[in-house]
Amino acid sequence: MAKNIYIGEISKNKEIQEDCFLMKVKVAASFETPLPGQFVMIRIAGLNDPFLSRPISIYSFSRRNNFCLIELLYRVVGKGTQIMAGLIEGSQVEINGPLGNGFEIDSVGKNVVFIAGGIGIAPMSLLIENLSRRFPSSLMTLYFGAQRETAVVGLDKPQKLCHDVNVCTDDGSLGEKNLVTQAFQKDMKKFLPANTSIYACGPRGMLLSLAKILNKGTFNCQVSLEERMACGTGACMGCAVAVKDKKNTLAYQRVCADGPVFNLRDIIWE
Amino acid sequence: MKSKTSPQIAVHLGRLKLKNPVMTASGTFGYGEEYADYVDLNRLGAVVVKGLSLKPRLGNPPPRIMETTGGMLNAVGLQNIGVDAFIEEKLPFLRKYDVAVIANIYGETYDEYKKVAKKLSAAKGVHALELNISCPNVKKGGVSFGSDPKVAARVTQAVKEEASLPVIVKLTPNVTDIAVIAQAVEKAGADAISLINTLTGMAVDLKTRKPYLRNITGGLSGPAIKPVALRMVWEVVKKVSVPVIGIGGIMTAEDALEFLILGAKAVQIGTANFINPHATMEVIEGIKDYLTANKIKDVNEIIGTFQP
Repeated sequence: MAKNIYIGEISKNKEIQEDCFLMKVKVAASFETPLPGQFVMIRIAGLNDPFLSRPISIYSFSRRNNFCLIELLYRVVGKGTQIMAGLIEGSQVEINGPLGNGFEIDSVGKNVVFIAGGIGIAPMSLLIENLSRRFPSSLMTLYFGAQRETAVVGLDKPQKLCHDVNVCTDDGSLGEKNLVTQAFQKDMKKFLPANTSIYACGPRGMLLSLAKILNKGTFNCQVSLEERMACGTGACMGCAVAVKDKKNTLAYQRVCADGPVFNLRDIIWE
Repeated sequence: MKSKTSPQIAVHLGRLKLKNPVMTASGTFGYGEEYADYVDLNRLGAVVVKGLSLKPRLGNPPPRIMETTGGMLNAVGLQNIGVDAFIEEKLPFLRKYDVAVIANIYGETYDEYKKVAKKLSAAKGVHALELNISCPNVKKGGVSFGSDPKVAARVTQAVKEEASLPVIVKLTPNVTDIAVIAQAVEKAGADAISLINTLTGMAVDLKTRKPYLRNITGGLSGPAIKPVALRMVWEVVKKVSVPVIGIGGIMTAEDALEFLILGAKAVQIGTANFINPHATMEVIEGIKDYLTANKIKDVNEIIGTFQP
């Protein structure tokens, strides 16, 4: 009997890029400090349409005198996020979290490579923030891809904390005209598998192409997945992902409770 | 402790005695553990666990769920760890609580239902069985056992032969006349009847012209189905004398009270748990408040008091 549903008060909700919003939510000080990669289930207090809560990964988190501030960076993709985008300062939301498992952090002294696509930068930014307390920026490299300049978000902190930030866009309107995974592949020989941890979050296509690139090597890569969810707590079994289990056979695991962070090598792509 | 004027809310479903009429619906509450941090399981009328089969089941490939107006579709396909792993790994946790545990069971054959029932009857800490003859998302068994009165009766009888525990039969709404099925399972020895399971539905993605669910069809749950559930409970309570458990779209105490007034002896809360993990607790408190406000001393006094 430890977990509560928190009533959050929106202190800011602003479109910072095309269809991308930054929402700041004040919650009670008892809110558990989230690990990078964890998420919250958010819903508009008292509203049953849209019916389900929305899983949104945590972009930033800070403790103030008598409250906590959760920052969510989200893209408007459907009905739920559309309604979220319309919420004004002072509106109340219900927050369940932090949920899921965060990224496993490897030992200090390794190279860390972050690969993010679009709004997938959100959990990466929190991870970079967190790791920057232990890793020198010289060890941290980010590859970030977006469709076009107007879709580039969330680079404020990474640009300060990583010594090398590679930005790609599909149309070349900002940075290199390339796919983020190809930009990484081009640099791959700079990193030694035994001495490098890779963290990635982005659209399915990006993660699949990363899986192909890393397939033959021995790089360790953790990825954060996204899936439609009903409960966010492991009960509904709705957010299944196909993985190889310990016996190397197909199993469906829950993105919410078994993830959202998985070892890229374990994911079965159909 | 509340004063002695606090209403009495215990209900008896035949041999099965519950602290209150509020249970969790199978498949929406995991094996209890998933919500134990949110809800004091001791306060529930009963925990109905995720459907158990003889062998572990992989479940259906994703995507498995889709939100709809006032509810959701699911096609999970009874993914579960199997009855043996449940007894070994999950039941010890539930035994720590003073709560009735109802094991929902599923089989692809009569024999499988019997074997699962036998194992659970021998296990310590299970208080009743709920036969799932109504899952719309599996190819074999499930709803095919629940849509023919003769087959439904035969599976009920088969389980009754093996099980020393009270047997609840959970019915599907995807039939022409649910009362006929209810009467058939009652005659076959069902100790109680629960209804409704989900209504088969679909959702189409206009961009791709594909189904939102990999399984194409799924089971609709949530407040959208409550009026249908109420109508079916009403049809069944008129025709059977065994206790009826009302299920379908209950979000609040008011929703639960509608079912009780119609004649359901208890209710199950399902999809509401997903969006409000405290839903069961709020329903229990709300029922008490309603009774207190209306100066009713015992919840049993309102059961079946519908005035058509």
